[in-house]
Amino acid sequence: MVERAGRALLSRRRRELLLGAVVLALLAALPLGVSGAYLRGLIVLALLYAGLSQAWNILGGYCGQISLGHALYFGIGAYTSALLFTRAGLSPFIGMFAGGLLSGLSAFLVGIPCFRLSGHYYAIATIVIGMMAALLASNWDFINAAQGITIPFHGEAWRNLQFRTAVLPFHYVMLVYAALMWLIAWVIEGSRWGFYWRAVKDDVTAARSLGVSIYPSKLAAAAISGAATGIGGALYAQYVGFIDPESAFDLSLSVLIALPAVVGGIGTLWGPLLGAAVLIPVQQLSVAWFGSAAGGIDLMVYGALIMVLALSRPEGLVSFFHPRARQEAVDHG
Amino acid sequence: MGLLYAVVAAGLTLIFGLMNVVNFAHGALLMAAMYATWLIHRSTGLDPLLQLPLVAALLFGTGVAIYRVLIARTLQIRVNGAMVQIFTTFGLSIFLVGLAQLVFGSDFQSINASFLGGRTLAFGAVVLPLPLVASGVVSLLVFLALFRLSRTEFGRALEATREDFEAVALIGVDRDRIFGIGWGIGAAAVGIAGVLLANFYYISPDVGTNFALIAYVAVALGGFGSILGALIAGLVIGLTEALTALVVDPSLKQIGIFLIYLAVLMFRPRGLFGKL
Amino acid sequence: MKRIKRRTVLTAVGASVGVGFARRARAVEEVKIGAVFPLSGNAAAIGQDARHALETMAEIINGRHNIPMLLGEGGGLSGLGGAKVKLLFADSQNNPQIARSAAERFITQDGVVAVIGSYTSATAVTISQICNRYQIPYISADNSSPSLNRQGLEWFFRPSPTDIDFTKAMFDFFAAIGEKTGEKVQSIAIIHENSVFGSDSAKLQARMAEAAGIKVLANISYQANIPSLSVEAERLRAADADVVMPSSYTSDAILLMRAMHDAGYKPRAIMAQDAGFIDPAFIAAVGPLAEGLLSRSAFAIDAVKQRPAIPAVNALFRNSGANKDLNDLTARELTALQVLGDALNRAKSTNNMALRAALRATDIPGNQTIMPWAGVKFDETGQNIKGNPVILQYQKGQWRAVFPFEIATAAADWHIKR
Repeated sequence: MVERAGRALLSRRRRELLLGAVVLALLAALPLGVSGAYLRGLIVLALLYAGLSQAWNILGGYCGQISLGHALYFGIGAYTSALLFTRAGLSPFIGMFAGGLLSGLSAFLVGIPCFRLSGHYYAIATIVIGMMAALLASNWDFINAAQGITIPFHGEAWRNLQFRTAVLPFHYVMLVYAALMWLIAWVIEGSRWGFYWRAVKDDVTAARSLGVSIYPSKLAAAAISGAATGIGGALYAQYVGFIDPESAFDLSLSVLIALPAVVGGIGTLWGPLLGAAVLIPVQQLSVAWFGSAAGGIDLMVYGALIMVLALSRPEGLVSFFHPRARQEAVDHG
Repeated sequence: MGLLYAVVAAGLTLIFGLMNVVNFAHGALLMAAMYATWLIHRSTGLDPLLQLPLVAALLFGTGVAIYRVLIARTLQIRVNGAMVQIFTTFGLSIFLVGLAQLVFGSDFQSINASFLGGRTLAFGAVVLPLPLVASGVVSLLVFLALFRLSRTEFGRALEATREDFEAVALIGVDRDRIFGIGWGIGAAAVGIAGVLLANFYYISPDVGTNFALIAYVAVALGGFGSILGALIAGLVIGLTEALTALVVDPSLKQIGIFLIYLAVLMFRPRGLFGKL
Repeated sequence: MKRIKRRTVLTAVGASVGVGFARRARAVEEVKIGAVFPLSGNAAAIGQDARHALETMAEIINGRHNIPMLLGEGGGLSGLGGAKVKLLFADSQNNPQIARSAAERFITQDGVVAVIGSYTSATAVTISQICNRYQIPYISADNSSPSLNRQGLEWFFRPSPTDIDFTKAMFDFFAAIGEKTGEKVQSIAIIHENSVFGSDSAKLQARMAEAAGIKVLANISYQANIPSLSVEAERLRAADADVVMPSSYTSDAILLMRAMHDAGYKPRAIMAQDAGFIDPAFIAAVGPLAEGLLSRSAFAIDAVKQRPAIPAVNALFRNSGANKDLNDLTARELTALQVLGDALNRAKSTNNMALRAALRATDIPGNQTIMPWAGVKFDETGQNIKGNPVILQYQKGQWRAVFPFEIATAAADWHIKR
């Protein structure tokens, strides 16, 4: 019986991987059907957030620590890469590596004291830390304080990760990023850690009785999540060409990083991608279509959508594809 | 100022204490209350101070409505319940801000001709603006009222319902009604804060965000579910803010608050008086 | 079949080499211009005002209002056969990424000939950079950060003065009025919000004060949109400088005035860095507290004698839905479109290269605009070198120009003697 369950699990895992490869291929071919810099840019952003949200998901979804201060890691990654590029002429590929290291380290350091806090206390602590970072960054002259850093165009080159007007290269860069994050999540899902975390999320006392020490694994999750977010930040910086404390450390960014995972299905493999695919276009398009009309409508659309999605599909958008999951949610409710 | 933070926090903690819901729309409610005050003042000339019961009632109704329409649904959901609540109220907040911008425009409004506005009160050498003093007084009264409430039958019912609403249903307590009223009271509290603020603060669709943030910190600092905690925390925050600004560059004065919060939580992970 | 292939190849080559796009010039009915401003969010009031300002100028160009200034006769753009100006608006939400996307959309999907924007420096950076890459002119209507024209961009044009010009005007005023009345400025207290606008402003002010031998008794920075400025007001009161120099946006400006009032402090003189302090909403909110307030400005609404077009333009602006007078920001935004329209006329084409050449050759005399400037003429970095600021003072419910004395419409109320 156990053997059959084990085999079923393996084949499920293999199916997921296969599905992942198919989706990857589809996304890679997508730009051929979409023309126009604006729409392509939309997809680039959606992919970036899919990756960012998946990185967040590792800590927030699988590990259960809802962080609302992930902008901190994003900002550290973005600033590190931008500074290295503009002041030391180092390629962003090096920059994102450095940025990822720093942000991963920060996540680790933040986790040490904060993982002692539970649920909402933890969330507010992350908010607070994020805000502190934003405040300090706005006043730190070394990183140009509130003025931000402009990343000038140094010529079209992969080494610079800059392209005059072509959006396609970024599409693939972000696709790789999102795919990598998905892969990491997939690996974690099947790993020992993933198992432990699921156990802990479902029943804390039972997990403890298993003698599982989850604290170190949580720290590892934090580090991975933070590092990955930082890399995303570095990519963003090269894409948009300008960062300042408001766009890189803001609370709204932290929420935007977490939102796709929540809407799509927190703690699931496909949640962040689905969530990003829905939320980012809605956000950008509502500004584009409604923003120029009476101000405020775009916000109303965005807010209403979040409410509707959260209420009608609390398990996330993935439940559209996994009717069993929805049934489970309703049963246990 | 600290007391004002405390009042906003009180409303929040009540809602949280009820059902483990962090209401991210609190800031939006504050903004709504301020706009309501402004509108009533503009159309009827009624002084904000006199509007207190009116706006409080208005917000009470709004709170109950929000509960009935939105929150009650979230309680059916066991999977990711907390997340759903957070993001539902978050979405509500964005929606309300957008609505306010649509209806009122994004220009700033303010109430110039109020009873309290612009006057000061002198206590010996210390000169205090009257609106602030009045806010402080009213805030204290609100807290006293909330205290008494928690000791009453209703308050206990509230507490019991939170702990185990299935059991409570057995003895005939209607969870929805209790929670609805609880939300109403929480909203009314923030409504009172809004009226007081409208006396001397400017009004715009974004005005709620900053106050709400401080309220969340206050609630967490004081401990979720504890009214006394919210009061103390609010005061601590107000004080810290003022002190920090004197010591370091004022643009960093909020850091003092954040540091205190983190420091306290290191030693008391449930806040100063937290019950959860 | 062959035709299609050739076109595809050409497009691919063009895109991959990044060749500058040469747009074919053809007879046009309308010329599309993109405008990116914060139309929602906490700067939405400014953005909506900008929208009214631009629509007013478009109306002047397209209609027949016969206003005594450049392009005032209307009837469309004469250099393009009477083509009408069509404005497309996009909301930037003051977010640099959204601003960039909006500009890109305008350029690639709507085929605008130029982009105008944008209020904040952060959005201006991304918009100007993306415009530069697509080789489309960006007209900075109201960004005053000095670093913007020093990005090395070739498609950046700014008719308006920069913060350096503005701050210099302030200190020139101090010197001049000190000479005139004998009450010289010996100390200042700076208070600023800590984003790029405020910080840059404060740095400039501190530097120029030092150069002028004026003591800086306090240099206070605060977090924008903070709920309370009472502590900061206290510090200002303690410093008791000759002039308080604030750089704030509207909400903070209101808060600051009220906080100072509550602290029982009435500064001897307040010299504001524009922004929030000239916003009509600010005046409405603080009422009599604004009396005597000084501010730098690029525009003087009462300079009617020297700029006869002002009353007519202002009336049109009021009726466009704005319901308020022109101010520093809206006047500059309107003028930016005027400059662009003039360049289009001289270029006689919508081709981007021709337009840039025309912009570079711009030389508009000041009295053909509503601005109190000597004129509009761009240097190699795209900066107008003839835009001189003025100093305004709020006297009895009106903003009066008090400096430079040659165009002043009223004498400055200056009492800083102890």
